[in-house]
Amino acid sequence: MTGLESFASALWALMTPMALFHVAWATLLGIFVGSLPGLTATMGVALLTTLTYTMERDAAILVLMCMYVGAIYGGSRSAILLNIPGTPASAATALDGFPLAQKGRAGYAMGLATAGSAIGTLVGIFLLVMLAPPLAEAALRFGSFEFFWLALFGIVISGQLTGGSAPLKGYISGLIGLMVAMIGADGIHSHIRLTGGWDDLNGGIGLIPAMVGAFGFAEVLSVMWQAAPQMAEKTRRGARSLPRLLHLWRYKFTIVRSGVIGTLVGIIPGVGEDIGAWASYAAARRTSPERDEFGTGSTEGLTAAETGNSAVVPGALIPALTLAVPGSAPAAVLIAALFIHGIRPGPMILIEAPNFIYSVAAMLVLGTLAILIFGLALTPLFIQVLRIPRAWLMPVVFTLCVIGPYALTQRIFDIWVMVAFGLLGFAMRQMRYPVAPLVLGIILGDLLDKSLRRGLILSDGDLAPFFTRPISAAFAALIAVSILLAIPPVRRGLAARNPFARKPS
Amino acid sequence: MRMDTARADRITAILLAAIGVIMLWAGWTMDRLEFRDIHPASIPGLLPMILGAVAMVCAVLLFVSAQDAPQAAPQGSWGAMALAALWSGVYAVLMVGALPYYVATTIYVAGFLMLFDREAPLLRRAITGAVFGIVTAGGIGVLFRYAFLIRLP
Repeated sequence: MTGLESFASALWALMTPMALFHVAWATLLGIFVGSLPGLTATMGVALLTTLTYTMERDAAILVLMCMYVGAIYGGSRSAILLNIPGTPASAATALDGFPLAQKGRAGYAMGLATAGSAIGTLVGIFLLVMLAPPLAEAALRFGSFEFFWLALFGIVISGQLTGGSAPLKGYISGLIGLMVAMIGADGIHSHIRLTGGWDDLNGGIGLIPAMVGAFGFAEVLSVMWQAAPQMAEKTRRGARSLPRLLHLWRYKFTIVRSGVIGTLVGIIPGVGEDIGAWASYAAARRTSPERDEFGTGSTEGLTAAETGNSAVVPGALIPALTLAVPGSAPAAVLIAALFIHGIRPGPMILIEAPNFIYSVAAMLVLGTLAILIFGLALTPLFIQVLRIPRAWLMPVVFTLCVIGPYALTQRIFDIWVMVAFGLLGFAMRQMRYPVAPLVLGIILGDLLDKSLRRGLILSDGDLAPFFTRPISAAFAALIAVSILLAIPPVRRGLAARNPFARKPS
Repeated sequence: MRMDTARADRITAILLAAIGVIMLWAGWTMDRLEFRDIHPASIPGLLPMILGAVAMVCAVLLFVSAQDAPQAAPQGSWGAMALAALWSGVYAVLMVGALPYYVATTIYVAGFLMLFDREAPLLRRAITGAVFGIVTAGGIGVLFRYAFLIRLP
């Protein structure tokens, strides 16, 4: 069966009333979650994971995929109307979306964001279907040496790209995640490590409590710390208009380019939607004849940002499904959810569940259709949702943060873990440390540890195979270049030679 | 109060160095499982030792490169954040498990509204808070208990 046939078959299998019902409510919930400042896609997927424990496998995965697609798209609502990105992924959207709203074109901006998101996700889905199977096949040749470098590459590149101007802080965040992953029974000899005699830590720190804390409770604290947002005045009367197809056609190259950039950024481990949006936005600004309008209400800038962040969603699932290395923070939660529901992501996925990648692609297509329908039809409703006071919303969110991690293991200890990671996550945000590498470190710590020690056992303690096997050597070189680029004098030297660098006016 | 300053970076660097030393020491002194006759390269303390050493290197680099954030972020209300953290912490750590879930959640949600929804008069806040607390606790509790078959704390 060809890939296209497998995809069509997976899509047909989802055409049941119950599956479509799941698509509708989960996407709508995702859009609400994404649109409300303080609720992120990661938090939404993590909390919804706790609600899917008892669901049938395919329905649970479908619901989580739709939540992910909906939440990333939903972030554009508050970015456009409040100038506050509902999710970090929509930060670039706010640059042009809010000025458009202030000019009384909020409805048009939201329509454009909807179309951009839908097309971006479709571009990403196409690349997911094309790239995931060969990547999984290639990964079947990976041994312990390659997996060691892959895990290290994920931490380094995630720290580098999410750390922004201070990659060291990104590295430190990843390092803390790796240290957290060392707590509990080790993966080879089951020896209990670094628990300080605390029995509750024997099984390690749970990913779901840590993520719900770092992204949920930390967000609650951040929202309570910030000043209450104000909605753009002119949008209160809600001028609505759909984007004309002609406008979208004008930006066809921007849309395709942003979709491809977003997907490729998604494939890079632990980087995520916000970087996808910024990279697409920067590429559009460099090549656009309207570059001077960027930041003041450019429709092309808005389209690029929204297409870019949405294309990251399928892109992030490519390494998540084929290598068990998440391309973004929500994808990290999805990996945990897949394990809970009996799917083992990684190179063996093509053998154990050969059609699963196509099923995921079909689920994403349905989620995309849903955001298109809801996004264009329910704009006034979303504007009302944004008016829910935070004093009413945040206690509900925190209540879910408490009961969600507890529901998985029914241990009070996991609630304490959630609280601890919430405080840590808030402190990290305040100190400008990215949180995504921390999560990636917790996920990849076990892989890094086992691969290093297994590799050393296989080579009888010799380090040479870590550097001489072709794929290992390539990863090692990539990591070395990444770290080299993080050194300030090297960065400054390269920036001085960059012809696209903005000159001070 | 800002936490993105050079001083904060230096304090973090000292903490990180301390954690690095602890990891290195813990990895070094960790059981090498000789009695199981394992390969010496697979000792459980190997990666903790490496991570400890890397943490110390990062701590030195952070201390040396510590600087104030180039653009100061707009400052929020630390009082509101601390109050929210304290009240939420009391609920999560002290009330859940000690009180029945429905009671604890109702008190928490009602208390949160009374503390932060300052636009309404106190009596109205108390009544709406209590009603909203009961609805929230009931809704979430019933959902998890009867739909997802979770034994509530």
